[in-house]
Amino acid sequence: MQCDEIKELLAGYQDGELDGAQTAQVREHLAGCEACRTELGRLNKVKEVASKVQYKDLPLEVWEGYWQGVYRRIERGLGWIFASLGAVILLCFGLFHLVRDFFLRPEISIFAKLGVAGLIIGGAFLLVSLIRERMFAYHRERYREVQR
Amino acid sequence: MKKNGSMKEDDAMLMHQLKRGRVKALSGLVEKYKKQAYFLALGMVGNADDAFDVSQEAFLRVYQSARTFDDKQPFFPWFYAIVANLCRNVLKKRQTVDSRQVDIDEVGYLLADDGTPETELLEREEKRKLFAAMRKLPFADREIINLNHFRMMSYDEIASILNIPRGTVMSRLYYARRRLAELMEEDERHAMRRD
Repeated sequence: MQCDEIKELLAGYQDGELDGAQTAQVREHLAGCEACRTELGRLNKVKEVASKVQYKDLPLEVWEGYWQGVYRRIERGLGWIFASLGAVILLCFGLFHLVRDFFLRPEISIFAKLGVAGLIIGGAFLLVSLIRERMFAYHRERYREVQR
Repeated sequence: MKKNGSMKEDDAMLMHQLKRGRVKALSGLVEKYKKQAYFLALGMVGNADDAFDVSQEAFLRVYQSARTFDDKQPFFPWFYAIVANLCRNVLKKRQTVDSRQVDIDEVGYLLADDGTPETELLEREEKRKLFAAMRKLPFADREIINLNHFRMMSYDEIASILNIPRGTVMSRLYYARRRLAELMEEDERHAMRRD
């Protein structure tokens, strides 16, 4: 086996994750290859330092209050959804009355009414297109998040 | 201690209940995985506050995305993907901050005490070098080092979580350790030049 092939097995050799035949191959190669022995030495140093790393645990009271923290996040999320929904409903209601009053007023010219109607229809098309695009992007994003 | 199969069944049952809108099922998953989520995130973002925030946000995402969960698949790899993505976002946001020096006090704040004060000082310096090097690693390398060294997962466990073949775990670990060694040696050379 060439050095490049052996090197790809070195991590497995260090961790005892190779089978008997692979271990023997690596051992045999290492006996006659100084470059790979040096490489293994460097990797062993990293492994040795990393094996001493142990993170501090958090205080018990932090873990005891953990679920409340998650629950608060859920509550806030729901709060924002309802508040946004309410705001959208109020906005639509207000706009509907505004537009209806505008079109029912006889003193306003038919051209102004046509212009506003065009603006509203165009705006509605743009809004629907934007929402569809966002929804498509959102579904793709969510898919990326949960799949590997 | 419960067997692996039984744990998977428990998770599947809790996810099934969560899909039906029972928030209490989420508290079961939180109790079971909160520490794993925190320590997984800590190994990747290297900061206790961010790791805590990521772990809680991950459970919120579980709640929000429960409907997209495939009941036939195990829970933990799916959950891990959420944690890893959140960590990736945190690291992207603080790319500029990440390039700063890691000091000994910061490492001491994160790590558990062990050994005598003299050996501890030497070891802490070595760990500081490791942490500084970890910060410069690409996410994929940082991730595999974290799973193998800090979370002490076997190659089979890592392969299952990352959904990659066992041989890929081995080669990715080799390249990650090699890059880590190079970065630590570079740090040592810089320190010698400073002295």
